[in-house]
Amino acid sequence: MGRDDTPIRRKLTAIVLMTSTLALLFTVASFATYEYFAFRQSAARNLDSLGRIIAANSTAALAFANPDDAREILAALKAEPQIAAAALYDREGKLFATYPESPRPEVLPDSPDRTGYRFAAGYLEGFQPVVQGTSWTVGTLYLRSDLREIYARFRLYGLIAALVFGVSVLMAYLISRRLQRQISQPLLAIANTARAVSDRQDYTVRVPVADGRELGQLTEALNHMLARLQSQEEEQRESQHKLEAQLGRLELLNRITHAIGERQDLSNLFQIVLDRLQDDLPVDFGCVCLCSPSADYVTVARLGARSNALAAELDMMEEAKIATNQNGLARSLKGSLVYEPDVTLVNAPVPRRLARAGLRSLVIAPLVAESTVFGLMLVARHGQHAFSSGECEFLQQLSGHVALASHQSQLYEALQTAYEELRKSQQSALQQERLRALGQLASGIAHDINNAISPVALYTESLLEREPNLSERAREYLGTIQRAVDDVAQTVARMREFYRPREPQLILTQVDVNNIARQVIDLTRARWRDVPQESGIFIELSTDLTSGLPKVMGAESEIRDALTNLIFNAVDAMPQGGVLTLRTYLVSLSAPEGEPETRVTIEVGDTGVGMDEETRARCLEPFYTTKGERGTGLGLAMVFGMVKRHSGEIQIDSKPGIGTAIRLSFAAMTAGSAVAQLPASHLPARRMRVLIIDDDPVLIKSLRDTLEADGHAITTANGGQSGIEAFLSAELRGESFAVVITDLGMPYVDGRKVAAAIRAASSSVTIILLTGWGRRLLDDNDIPPGVNRVLAKPPKLHELRMVFAEIAGRDPMAA
Amino acid sequence: MVVLAWGVAQATAAPPTEQQVKAVFLYNFAQFVEWPATAFANESAPFVIGVLGADPFGSDLDAIVHDESIANRPMVVRRYSDVAEIDNCQILFISTSEKSRLEEVLSVLKGKSILTVGDTEGFTTRGGMIRFVTEHNRIRLRISVGATAAGQLTISSKLLRLAEIVPPGRT
Repeated sequence: MGRDDTPIRRKLTAIVLMTSTLALLFTVASFATYEYFAFRQSAARNLDSLGRIIAANSTAALAFANPDDAREILAALKAEPQIAAAALYDREGKLFATYPESPRPEVLPDSPDRTGYRFAAGYLEGFQPVVQGTSWTVGTLYLRSDLREIYARFRLYGLIAALVFGVSVLMAYLISRRLQRQISQPLLAIANTARAVSDRQDYTVRVPVADGRELGQLTEALNHMLARLQSQEEEQRESQHKLEAQLGRLELLNRITHAIGERQDLSNLFQIVLDRLQDDLPVDFGCVCLCSPSADYVTVARLGARSNALAAELDMMEEAKIATNQNGLARSLKGSLVYEPDVTLVNAPVPRRLARAGLRSLVIAPLVAESTVFGLMLVARHGQHAFSSGECEFLQQLSGHVALASHQSQLYEALQTAYEELRKSQQSALQQERLRALGQLASGIAHDINNAISPVALYTESLLEREPNLSERAREYLGTIQRAVDDVAQTVARMREFYRPREPQLILTQVDVNNIARQVIDLTRARWRDVPQESGIFIELSTDLTSGLPKVMGAESEIRDALTNLIFNAVDAMPQGGVLTLRTYLVSLSAPEGEPETRVTIEVGDTGVGMDEETRARCLEPFYTTKGERGTGLGLAMVFGMVKRHSGEIQIDSKPGIGTAIRLSFAAMTAGSAVAQLPASHLPARRMRVLIIDDDPVLIKSLRDTLEADGHAITTANGGQSGIEAFLSAELRGESFAVVITDLGMPYVDGRKVAAAIRAASSSVTIILLTGWGRRLLDDNDIPPGVNRVLAKPPKLHELRMVFAEIAGRDPMAA
Repeated sequence: MVVLAWGVAQATAAPPTEQQVKAVFLYNFAQFVEWPATAFANESAPFVIGVLGADPFGSDLDAIVHDESIANRPMVVRRYSDVAEIDNCQILFISTSEKSRLEEVLSVLKGKSILTVGDTEGFTTRGGMIRFVTEHNRIRLRISVGATAAGQLTISSKLLRLAEIVPPGRT
């Protein structure tokens, strides 16, 4: 037991002790008190009874004055040791008999007192009448009982009681000390357990089960609670772990999402995801597959960095194809996440391969974008049942993110492409617009120039035709003028080339390239000699024109333009001066068909800055220019266009710092080539009434003059309205015109309205639309209704004559 | 009360004479003896103390008995000269004057519930119930229980204690 003096033990012992002590005390006290009073009462009663007995017995003795007998009777009192004295008094109150026989004189009263017994100090005494029968008093009896002995005996009892009390208390103490353990021990155990739990948070401790119903219940209940607490704590820890794991996965998801958020490159994206998965989740094998368009196989697009070894084993290297049916991939291709806790139980080739490689748990996450599965993400681990539901959820979410990111990257690529295309088309549209604007401008200019040079052409032609006495020189000059005007017209007409993708109508003639070369040299002299000279730059011209070259079928002016362009380029390439070479020669090539082909080549060379490879490759591109702001980038493009139209070839040699040589080669004309002959100039047809409508008086005059020279009756009108009026009034007069030549571009009432009005008025008249936009209209097939022919300005006499001839031929009656 | 008064009176006077004491004793016997119901004619019949023969008591007995009652019966004193006169008597003192005819008297009274008291010599042996015996200046009693039994009288043991008992069968 030892010194187990803990408060509870002391308390319990003290309680028991105090209880038992008090109980004992109370008992003793009550009993003592009761005994005391009972004793007194019984003593009194006893004395009374005794008295009565003695008295009753003494009646005869008293009645018959027999003191001996009386004494005898009293002597019986010896049996009662506590009776100290007794006396009988006769009727007169005289002492009759005493007990003991000779008592001490002070003990007995002299004469009887009142009836009744009284307690005096230490003794009980009293008087009693001696009555015979009911009322015959014969004397008085006196009894005296000594209580002292009794009290002594009482004291003895008290002592014994005290002793017993003490022993009881001691026993109570010992027993209580023994028995309190039944309560205090379990309580202490409970207290200790509670302290252990609260100090150490240790819920595995248990209270030793106590005996007894209440304590037992208590301890059981406590243990139950502790067990619950323990299991709750474990549950809490578990859910804490789960939460932490979940948090970890969320973080991982976040990291991966961040990492791939920036990526636009699809395979890079996949790589990052797989690497992260391998390192951080972790997994033992991971790959991303993309679905084929028909979804009957998937291609391994990317492998995790450390998965390559396993992939080799699995025959799942990059670009490997895996068929989808019967491979357990069907479900995932429908869009659900598939988790195989143990692939050895799945009977399909791919799972079996995985199992052979030691990978037993497999998760296949579909990559879904716009409700279509476009790929699969496979991850596997060596252990079976190795993926928790939390991880599966994570993979599902991740696959969502990956799908989104890859879709986004694809979209981005598409967007980029679209943007590029848009930009290109925008640029080309811009170019178109620019060209259109240019075209508009050009048209306007063309129109104006055409108008302007029409008189020149007309008069020149007329002069050449009709003017007698032209000197040789005049004829030569006029010829040059005519050619120049022609060139101007052609050039103006060809301005369209820059904005018109379609081939203009090509009038092919037999061309002598040497002639053209010479003409070009002349035309461009200012550019290669005069202007540089002013800046102190000297360009030497070197020509080498092979004579006797066969003719080439082509458009003279076009070839001229091209050569002009080349020469301009050559001059531009030599800002410090240099040598400009112009050569023509014949080249024989053996064509694959057997018959050797001869090509006539014109070469333009310079010793200028030359072109690097890239420039050389791109110099023929439209709008590609090295001349910065000055260049349109259209020159060589135009040349190229021309060469192609002539079915020729262009060759460019260039070395930076050395120079450039450009060769244009054309098929030489053979005897059998078809030649588009110029139609013979017709003699003027018979005389017709012609109405000329234009807003340009100079043109009107020139046309009038030339046509009148041909013998036609010309009426002119200035402007569309007056033209219509003139026609109508002539119709009314009955002098209808056979031909109406009208300009297109006139203010207020333009050529179309005129044509419409005149056509309405007459269905037989031939309406010729003469316009500065002539070629364009022809090309566009945009001929206004009612118009029979469209001719371009400047008008060629022979063209006009041809038309008249046709009319005459058609309608011999027209006059 | 009477007794006490008498006692007081006596205290101032001379000590009681023998006859006075006997008279008192006679009166006292009434208290210590039980008579059967047949001894009385009815309920209100008096209690009679008779003296047969020469009355030695004089007025003492009368004085003692005067106004006394016992068991609600008034006590009277009667004097008889002849035994035949006795019809209803509870205590009969037979004086010594009858000593020669004692047996005859007693035989007449035999079986009757009359307490025969006398001081004649051999009273009880001759059939009497109670005899006064004077010894040492004291009056002692001698009681014959056989006689009393014959008379269907019950003597209180208290009285018997004091007395010398004459056992039945002994004369």
